[in-house]
Amino acid sequence: MKTLAENPLLALRWLLLLGMAVIFTAANSYFPAAGNIFALGESFALLGLVALGLALTILAGEFDLSGGAMVAVSGLIMLKCGADNAVLGLLAALAFGGLVGLFNGIVTLKLGVSSLVTTLGVMILLSGFAVWLEGGQAINFENYDLTDAFNMDWFGVLSPRSVITIVLFVVTGLMLAFTRMGRDIIAAGSHRKAAGMAGADVRGAVVTTFVLSGLFAALAGALLAITLGRASSTFGANLLLQGASAAILGGVALSGGVGRPFGVAIGVLVLAVLNNGLGLIGASSPAILLLNGGVLLIAVLAGGAPATWLRARLA
Amino acid sequence: MSAATLSRTSGFGGLFAPARVQATVIQIATVVMFLAACAFIENFASASNISSILYAASTVGIAAVGLASVTISGNLFALSLGSTAAFASIVYIAASGWGVLPALAASVALGLVFGLLQGLVVGWLRCNAIISTIAAGSLIAGLATWVSDGRTVLAEGGPSWLGSGTLIPGVPWQAVLFLLIVIVGEVLMQRTRAGWELRLRGTNPDAAELAGLRVTRMVVLSYVLAGAGAAIAGALIAAQSGTGNLRVGADLDFSAIAAMLVGGVAIGGGRGRIIDVASGTLFLAVLTNILLVNNFAYEVQLMVKGLAVLVAVTAGALLARKKR
Repeated sequence: MKTLAENPLLALRWLLLLGMAVIFTAANSYFPAAGNIFALGESFALLGLVALGLALTILAGEFDLSGGAMVAVSGLIMLKCGADNAVLGLLAALAFGGLVGLFNGIVTLKLGVSSLVTTLGVMILLSGFAVWLEGGQAINFENYDLTDAFNMDWFGVLSPRSVITIVLFVVTGLMLAFTRMGRDIIAAGSHRKAAGMAGADVRGAVVTTFVLSGLFAALAGALLAITLGRASSTFGANLLLQGASAAILGGVALSGGVGRPFGVAIGVLVLAVLNNGLGLIGASSPAILLLNGGVLLIAVLAGGAPATWLRARLA
Repeated sequence: MSAATLSRTSGFGGLFAPARVQATVIQIATVVMFLAACAFIENFASASNISSILYAASTVGIAAVGLASVTISGNLFALSLGSTAAFASIVYIAASGWGVLPALAASVALGLVFGLLQGLVVGWLRCNAIISTIAAGSLIAGLATWVSDGRTVLAEGGPSWLGSGTLIPGVPWQAVLFLLIVIVGEVLMQRTRAGWELRLRGTNPDAAELAGLRVTRMVVLSYVLAGAGAAIAGALIAAQSGTGNLRVGADLDFSAIAAMLVGGVAIGGGRGRIIDVASGTLFLAVLTNILLVNNFAYEVQLMVKGLAVLVAVTAGALLARKKR
């Protein structure tokens, strides 16, 4: 009861996750099978990287709206530049993601305006750029060996993508907990003025979160393109909203400075399990939309006045 | 900033005060761009082209005016406008047998209810504004899919006056409705107690609450207005095309946010006026139309729109800084 009193959201997302796992297992015996865990890992990898980057910017007191559109653009760059040499394509996609992140960070700080505004402009720009790159047709990847390599499974359940994503979650978590940069990022999101006066490198921290957000989103897009063997400007359409939902569900406070990558990972898992399970039991599309909304509503209520009331009663 | 925000802008100096300079520049730019396009682009000034600009501007603009009340009151933005518009388009077509005004009223009623519910969740239950509206967007889309069975609803009979009628050639009734909503919104926001309280809530939520303003009611009101605006936008799109479906308003959320920001409404709340929303909307609509009549592709239009947001915001920030 103690954790529930301290942080109802924390307990709630575990409850949601375990509850859904039990229900879906009961409803469809394929749910806990290795093949499905593998598929879950794939959705975790895609949404996870976008949510992790977005969560970093929120931690630093900003908000990167451009992550979803970046997934589409970077996938297209990956296949356009990587048709002959996949490493070149991956580097081009990552370089583009990092540069756009750098631009987001520097422009936001230089202008002293909200990053919601600057990254909205970049988001619209990127979605236009994606359609332009695509040139009217989805692009296919001819390097079947690489696609196959990325679709192999380790121990039946892990894919290269999910392993890369898990590693990045761990590294980001360690960075936030144990490095000076991590402390600066959290300080920048908690009380920026005070952090700057206390000697934290606030500007460096904010720019770093945008660069990482761009890099993570670009990596998510490039890996998606390799795995599927094709890229399209419509990839990433819902990722921004889902990523934001996952981050908040994972305990990241929109006001900045509060949240951990581990929580974000749980938030991503909740959404991934929900949609995977609903797909398995053949839920209708209104049911999927309503349940997604319902889960978010529960999460949002757990962060509002009802939770404060509950906390007061339990304490 | 708050003094400049709240005092009525008067005279030339007021127009270029730090809090107003971006809005003024965009208003001038819109007029200059419009006149230049009339002079240099063939057929731009034709009645049919002007009316196509106004059709595009009216729907996005009405949604953006409603949204602006949420932004100005300090809750950033709502992400449920697109699905509200989609549901409203389905209701409008389904009710169109009763006549244009009852159908419009039915759609608006739907928007009011959805807005009220979101307002209660954000204002009264104090839940996170962004995630509440994402959740609402998903729930509304789910309901709309369930009600319509995922199908497109077709209107019976011919086009209505609201869909394709014009006051004078080049000025559709939809644009007249947009103008009326802007005037009512501007007066409500600038000249009434509710408008003052709403803006003060955005300038400083804590101070507004401590000062005893009706903060909760204002937040609820702002979401009710946003829901109504989105619903009217959806009904207008449905009236234009004679169809209602789930794709109506697909990019309404971010188009409305972009229009509002370009016009000079501050995302952080408290700063900006309803006429700014109208000028931002017209600016983007004229710009998009110029690209369209010059045969630029959809992707170029999108990229230019993104650049316009960045340039407008950059210019606004730099000009405001120079003044300080």
